[in-house]
Amino acid sequence: MREPVFVTGLGTLGAWGSGCDGLAAALAAGAPLTVEVDRAAGYHLPGGARRACLMPAGSLAGWLSPAESRRMSPPSKLAVAASRMGLRCAGLDTAGETAGEAGEAGTAVVIATAFGPSTNTETLLKQILFENPEAASPSLFMESVANAPAAQIAIALKARGASLTICQREAGPLIALGTGAAEIAAGRAGRVLAGSVDEMTPLLHALLDRFGALARAGADGEELARPFDRRRNGFLAGEGGAVAVLESAAGLAARGGRALARILAWGSAFDPTATPSGWGRGHRALARGLRRTLERAGVEPESVDLVVSGAAGSIDGDRLEAEVLRAVWAGAPLPPVAAPKAVTGEYGGGHLAAAVLAAAGHPLGPTPGCADPELGLSPLDGSPLPAPSVVLATGLAAGGAAAWVVLGRA
Amino acid sequence: MQRDQPDRRVAVTGIGAVCGLGWGIPSLWAGLRAGQTGIGPFQRFDHSQHRTHLAAEVEAPPALLARACPGWRRLSIADRFALFAALEAVATAGLPAPFGVGDEDDAETGVYFGSSTGGMYESELFFAEFLRDPRRARLSALIPQQVNAPGDAVARLFGVTGPVVTYSSACASGALALGAALDAVRSGLVEVAIAGGSDSLCQLTYAGFNSLRSVDEVPCRPFRAERAGMSFGEGAAVLVLEPLERALERGAEPLAVFAGAGASCDAHHMTAPDPSGAGAAAALEAALADAGLAAGTIDFVNVHGTGTPLNDAAEWQALQRVFGERAGGMPLVATKALIGHLLGCSGAIEAVATVLCLRHGELHPVRRDGEADPELPVALVLDEPLPLAGARAAVSTSLAFGGSNAALVFSRWAGRAA
Repeated sequence: MREPVFVTGLGTLGAWGSGCDGLAAALAAGAPLTVEVDRAAGYHLPGGARRACLMPAGSLAGWLSPAESRRMSPPSKLAVAASRMGLRCAGLDTAGETAGEAGEAGTAVVIATAFGPSTNTETLLKQILFENPEAASPSLFMESVANAPAAQIAIALKARGASLTICQREAGPLIALGTGAAEIAAGRAGRVLAGSVDEMTPLLHALLDRFGALARAGADGEELARPFDRRRNGFLAGEGGAVAVLESAAGLAARGGRALARILAWGSAFDPTATPSGWGRGHRALARGLRRTLERAGVEPESVDLVVSGAAGSIDGDRLEAEVLRAVWAGAPLPPVAAPKAVTGEYGGGHLAAAVLAAAGHPLGPTPGCADPELGLSPLDGSPLPAPSVVLATGLAAGGAAAWVVLGRA
Repeated sequence: MQRDQPDRRVAVTGIGAVCGLGWGIPSLWAGLRAGQTGIGPFQRFDHSQHRTHLAAEVEAPPALLARACPGWRRLSIADRFALFAALEAVATAGLPAPFGVGDEDDAETGVYFGSSTGGMYESELFFAEFLRDPRRARLSALIPQQVNAPGDAVARLFGVTGPVVTYSSACASGALALGAALDAVRSGLVEVAIAGGSDSLCQLTYAGFNSLRSVDEVPCRPFRAERAGMSFGEGAAVLVLEPLERALERGAEPLAVFAGAGASCDAHHMTAPDPSGAGAAAALEAALADAGLAAGTIDFVNVHGTGTPLNDAAEWQALQRVFGERAGGMPLVATKALIGHLLGCSGAIEAVATVLCLRHGELHPVRRDGEADPELPVALVLDEPLPLAGARAAVSTSLAFGGSNAALVFSRWAGRAA
């Protein structure tokens, strides 16, 4: 990288409520933050998954104006609120909505979403398909597009750099972080708001469960994600938003700010053996992508202190993740592996935020549901660890995509 | 940007497309050159209850195509478009496929795609059935629903193991994907990029844009006085990008040089463009700076030109900001008037049209529908192709929902000596 890129702020919302303190506490405790999903609409199968990591009511309080609350879709609200939190965390003034004042290069926005504004899309489709196409609401439509969250951040914060929305399922958040870093490193943006948002509606939850993707209650009656555990049977769906503020070393020095972490490198790859909705067996191709990412970071695998894995409890997805890591480490001892999606749920940026917090020195607790690990990895068990110097965040997606970001201590 | 190698010049060595003018580049160029419109009545879904009734719909695919694409029956229409365009582009480029199996010394290939709705049409069919009776809906119909499905399908078909990224920034998606691909090839992150976009007609966007009263009841009339909105189109377009030196070394003939890309955001409104054109101008200026070209070297512009009153007016303001007094005389190509608005693919197919105009040394026309708008005194290419054999470089613009703007600069390939 030509220009060092730092994460200088982080805003988060999710099952933990709002803010990094709540997330850090939840991650340290290592307890899943699930609640019962509303199944009243009749979308769910009997005996199917019942729980998800959903945001508690009131989490957005104080972060949006009444007008914004009225007109924005749920993901847009998450995106704008998380951006404001991130800027405040970075010590940047949000009162004057000054994200755009990032030097001549301006502020860019890069947001990943797996499903886009699902509530608005569902409501709009009901209007079009079951009422009349002319009943389609223009306000719902304008907030049904995948790039609405990124656009609303730009509008709210006067961010006039590139506005990019990335849809690459579970790999999207790390691709967004890497793409944001690329905007800074190339000098195209002075500041970037990069992250991920997703909402989890009852319909989406029911469909994911019908695909067999979600964790079902195990023999112990608990509905847990259990990443890397022998008993894993799916992931916990989640929702939320995470937006990181990225700045160049020069920009950070000029304003005298402090950083949470440094982005050392990022990379992505694809496993063409994957089916459109499943996992493949192409760990060699993905391992090559990861090796190249580590090379760009100037980091040997043995120097990685902690892997913050995107593994979420999928039988095949976790296996592929383990195969990739084992191939890169090539017999050398693997570092400890955290799997924060067991706490935060899949989707909504909790994993991305956890990786940044880990690099910033926040301890991560035990991996929920992982009492009987397999696959040759060492999921965190609650034993205290030294603060990591190098953190590898991994994000493998169903369908074949994969992304990695290497973070260093600031 | 992570730079493995110093910046390299990037060639377009392959192109492929499908749209309302037909399957393949020969159909596209013949239609464009003739100023033929693909916009007309369409059959994809019952639109009798919609406000408007036109679209540039793609005709049935060539029979041979299904055999070339494994799992054809399970693919969405947008996936099928993407695969056809990619197959054509890779064949044009003369590249052997599959590209990589993950060996350490494989040249990296990446896929960079844009889409607004992916398999939304198929999702609508599923959704209608699911809400009537969840027990009867076929879950498999939802598999290609994801916006990233067309790009992923292309990667799967060619065995791509490098980066695969889908951009979904509404009507700028395809152009932003191309910009990312340019970056990746230029920086050495990949040796070959398969970049483009794909979108199909669906009720969500058809009803949605109609609800905004942004759709014309007749084929769209960009920059004309009586323009009243866009027309829908569908299809896919793919460009193969590789380092110029690599292309020449393997004996490929570059179709054009992909010189630069720029992006910006209006930060103004979700659906209305900034009327000052400042945001669009910023993207244009960024693209020119990235290309290292002065505005004076641009010989034509393939405009976003949707035909909505506000969008065309804002784009004219942007052109004046960038090209100054030359703006009024700058030849403008308005591809959407012939193939409709391909949404997330529009930036990609208009990039292909721009490359074709540079390559053939003439700019495609549009029909002279109605009077010129005295408020927008542009030099739109009308009725007949405009010979411009000496054109050096051109810009293609994409100005999207949410204020996301992108501009791409292509230069004519005039041989090594040029």
